[in-house]
Amino acid sequence: MLTILLNLLEVAAWSGIAALGFGILFNIPKGVIPTVFILGFTAGFIKFMLMHFNIHIVLSTFIAVFFIGIICMPVAHKIHHPPVVFCIPPTIPMIPGYFAYETVLSVMNFIFMEANQAKRVELMDAIFANGFTMLFILISIAAGISLPMLLLRKNTVKKIED
Amino acid sequence: MDSSKELIKTVDLLLEISSLLMVSGANTNRVNLSIDRFASALHCNTSCFISHKSIIMTVYEDNSTLSCTRVKNIPPYAINFSVISAVSKASWNAVEDHWTLEIIKNQKRYPKLVVLIAVSLAGAGFCNIFNGDYINMGVAFASTFIGLLIFQLTHREGYNVYLRIFSASLIASVLASLGIVFKLGANPETALATSILFLVPGVALINSFTDFLDNNIINGLVRYTTGLMTVLAIALGLFIAMLIFQLH
Repeated sequence: MLTILLNLLEVAAWSGIAALGFGILFNIPKGVIPTVFILGFTAGFIKFMLMHFNIHIVLSTFIAVFFIGIICMPVAHKIHHPPVVFCIPPTIPMIPGYFAYETVLSVMNFIFMEANQAKRVELMDAIFANGFTMLFILISIAAGISLPMLLLRKNTVKKIED
Repeated sequence: MDSSKELIKTVDLLLEISSLLMVSGANTNRVNLSIDRFASALHCNTSCFISHKSIIMTVYEDNSTLSCTRVKNIPPYAINFSVISAVSKASWNAVEDHWTLEIIKNQKRYPKLVVLIAVSLAGAGFCNIFNGDYINMGVAFASTFIGLLIFQLTHREGYNVYLRIFSASLIASVLASLGIVFKLGANPETALATSILFLVPGVALINSFTDFLDNNIINGLVRYTTGLMTVLAIALGLFIAMLIFQLH
């Protein structure tokens, strides 16, 4: 139990570092660096914890990203930075890089290397399985981050009164 | 005469702000919101057409027939969240005049070395997320570092952006493929898969989706297409590296 928890914490910490790295690439203000790390850590923790309980990666990614989308509104009012600044970097570690890699690998084998008919069918299966998992994870990231913003829009548009 | 000059100054200022926001990676809704806030602070009305490469804006006042329309071309895109944050803060202070355009424009970027190390650490972190061990993470760190270095150096030479992405992806994946050839670590494939992730157009794709939801269909399509082009350039680099090393 303890090793599982430690593994989870390690993966979550690396998610936070990845989020922070991308934040610095996007030139976030210095004041939001801790926020980005904590959000990346929390999102990674949620995602991998759900995956540990055998929830599909698409759904667990969606829930983790949705959590960031929900929490970013109160945080934005607290630290006085617009939500985009610290919402987008923590979602970047969710990007399905490995599925994309597997898809490209299978496509390449399918086109250039494999002649055996049975193995070609297996490759077709790999292309579709990995490709569509990648696509659905991407959709769940985009939807998860923008749905809360739309749902909570009424509270956020503060007009300057003359 | 005086008041029309005032109007020209206003429209130039608003155009400058919105072009800064677009370049820094804000979505269309945020640009519109900021323009509205500044306009209400400057006591004028605006209507504008925002596209990917230029902005057309008309500024007019309620109690006069004067209006001013100008077009501004948008410079090349470079994501910079500090600018978005500074503009957002300025828009709250706009009524009190505690800001200038110079403060917004002079948002410092992190030093190149800091960015290189941070992004390479992010690459190593990615590798850990996809079950890589510490040797794989080292490979991912090194190839991300060199890939991003190439990306930065070619930026100085002013090459086409997709060519830059392609070459960075090719070089990073060639370096990571060496890890597979020499069988470094437990899962050398993860290093290859994650060494190119620093190029992923996350901001473009997320902004494209939020633009679609806000019914800014054309801007959303443009962002989606640029994101897709970027992904294709990355995939092409990875593809060629895999062909060179005959990975399967």
